[in-house]
Amino acid sequence: MIVAQLLVNGLALGAAYALVALGFVLVLNATGAVNFAQGDLVMAGGFLAVALAGSLPVPGIVLLPLVMGLMALLGLAVSLLAYLPLRNRPPVSVFISTIAVGIILQNGVILLFGPEPKAAPALFGATTVSLGGLVIPEQSIAVIAVAGLLILGQHWLFARTQLGRRLRATAQDPEMARACGIPVTAMIALTFAVGAALAGAAGLLLSNQFFVTPSSGAGLILKAYIAVTIGGWGSVAGAVTGALLIAAFEVVASATVSYSAATAALYLAVLVILTFRPQGLFGEAAGARA
Amino acid sequence: MADKTKNSGNPALRPALRKVLPLAAALLASVIPPAAAAAELNIPVLVPVTGFLALEGTSQRNGAVLALSDAPAGLKVESEVIDTGTAPEGAVTALERAAGRGTPTAVAASMLGTQMLAMLPLAEEYGVPLVTVSGTASITERGNPWVFRFFPGDGVTKTAHARYAVEELGKRRPAVIHQTTAYGQSGQAHLRDAFAKLGVEPVFEEGVDPGIRDMLPVLTKAMAANPDVLILHLHSGPTALFIRQAAAMGITVPIVAGSAMHQPSTAALLEPAELKGVCAESSASPVSGGTPELERFTADYRATFKTEPDAFALGQYDGIRMVLDAAAKGAETPEAIRDALAKSTYQGLAMTYRSDGRGNMAHSAVIVCYDGASRVPAVVKRYDTAAPP
Repeated sequence: MIVAQLLVNGLALGAAYALVALGFVLVLNATGAVNFAQGDLVMAGGFLAVALAGSLPVPGIVLLPLVMGLMALLGLAVSLLAYLPLRNRPPVSVFISTIAVGIILQNGVILLFGPEPKAAPALFGATTVSLGGLVIPEQSIAVIAVAGLLILGQHWLFARTQLGRRLRATAQDPEMARACGIPVTAMIALTFAVGAALAGAAGLLLSNQFFVTPSSGAGLILKAYIAVTIGGWGSVAGAVTGALLIAAFEVVASATVSYSAATAALYLAVLVILTFRPQGLFGEAAGARA
Repeated sequence: MADKTKNSGNPALRPALRKVLPLAAALLASVIPPAAAAAELNIPVLVPVTGFLALEGTSQRNGAVLALSDAPAGLKVESEVIDTGTAPEGAVTALERAAGRGTPTAVAASMLGTQMLAMLPLAEEYGVPLVTVSGTASITERGNPWVFRFFPGDGVTKTAHARYAVEELGKRRPAVIHQTTAYGQSGQAHLRDAFAKLGVEPVFEEGVDPGIRDMLPVLTKAMAANPDVLILHLHSGPTALFIRQAAAMGITVPIVAGSAMHQPSTAALLEPAELKGVCAESSASPVSGGTPELERFTADYRATFKTEPDAFALGQYDGIRMVLDAAAKGAETPEAIRDALAKSTYQGLAMTYRSDGRGNMAHSAVIVCYDGASRVPAVVKRYDTAAPP
């Protein structure tokens, strides 16, 4: 019974991690640059949810579109300030500028909200559901459902719409896309917006059960980086799979061995995967690895 | 980030009073012979208000600033707050910057152990007393006469932690869950020693990375060992996560947490019902009340910073007040302040402070418990280690 309980918890955590990794990989594909601010965007999304909940006492599910919309605007700002002016510079310039964005977000949040940990409202409720002996937090079920819908929505956007085709064309070959009349700069800015919106959603989902602090972004960017490495550099499906694998080690494996051993086992698994499949589980979609 | 303030006595003067004072001063000056000039002190506050220790560092800053804002009559205090971040070089740079404007009389120094270790040689070179609430044991084990710690070390708090579980709750099968950080490992080592002295061996011990979000695995393993008490030594967020998850699982085994639980910001993450029966060790719990002086401190802190004080704030407040007290009694140079801190006894708001010869000033700890109806704990037990003669 406890194994099933752990699986549910692992799936909920993995679903939220998947949103973090997804936002990371979208920007990676569109620009070829690693957005090191992605973890801090998740943190900012969590604090934004906390702030909105202070003035709008409604369930998290009502706040979700608002958080995603405002975070999308923040993503646009990040692209305009931290990526586009440096797009023709060496990649390291963008790495540093996104690191700077992350630091600014952390310190900005400390100034606005203080250093205390905060909790955002639950998506629907804070009760538990009993299912055949399992005691599952309603929030866990909601996180799995909402994250699943967002991942499917992102897939639909990119695979089934004209906008998505333009975004994918920009990601695959910007020069050819520009030659075909696609507004590449706008598409890149839009990708940053989508990535930040997903980060905001992840922030709202994570910060109810697991709280949010101004420094919590650092751990999340590391998880996103590992997830994308496991899944295949630039692979969207790989990023989601990698995120679920990390959560499995974090929740399920650590129930049988110590946390330290589970963490060591995760990195050992990463090494094994990279030894036998250097391109990751789903193969590399992006050309250059940071 | 620097926030420069000058304080001379109570700065909270009302506008009407400000108009009257110059006139009164002129009248007094005409009839009273000139008095000796007020002693001038320079006490910079070099603490981490950004980074992973921002929560505790902000408390430390607030405690120091509050103490400096109400200096005893006759003292003129100049102070500036410099953020040290969390890197050792950040603290060193801050100390060099502060010293560049003239040797400080004393410094409210970072609570981060690695930063203190980096500042110690410089403090000795400049001859500046460092007044801190850092819990890192090694800062007072290096023979440096310029460091003074106004927060009990793990040797004091973890002994109280273990004694409360064994002697007061009558538990013999503790499960110890600690953080994997230096803070967590130090606490675990002291807990193990303290339990051993009480003839008790933990039935379960495990370290948890601060980045771990789901506590169900460790909770499951701990409960499989059939403990009769859960002993936590975790940071703020993980403490709240653990207690929330334990409450959701309906676990009735009592929890005695580390000092992070006493922080009002930790309790704010939990519903009062989730806190029912939870206890925690701490050096003090200002929000729990006590003496009128302590309650005045808490009221002033709330009014000034719009937040709740914790033991770090109170420890730093007491430390700076002891410096000001020494200065008011005539210790005007850094050397004189050092000697006064090293040799005097001071009755602070949290406890009585006296150096053990190595700069460890605090020798008391308390246990607080939550009743399930509010987020304000009650002090249920006090442990005073004999202060050195």
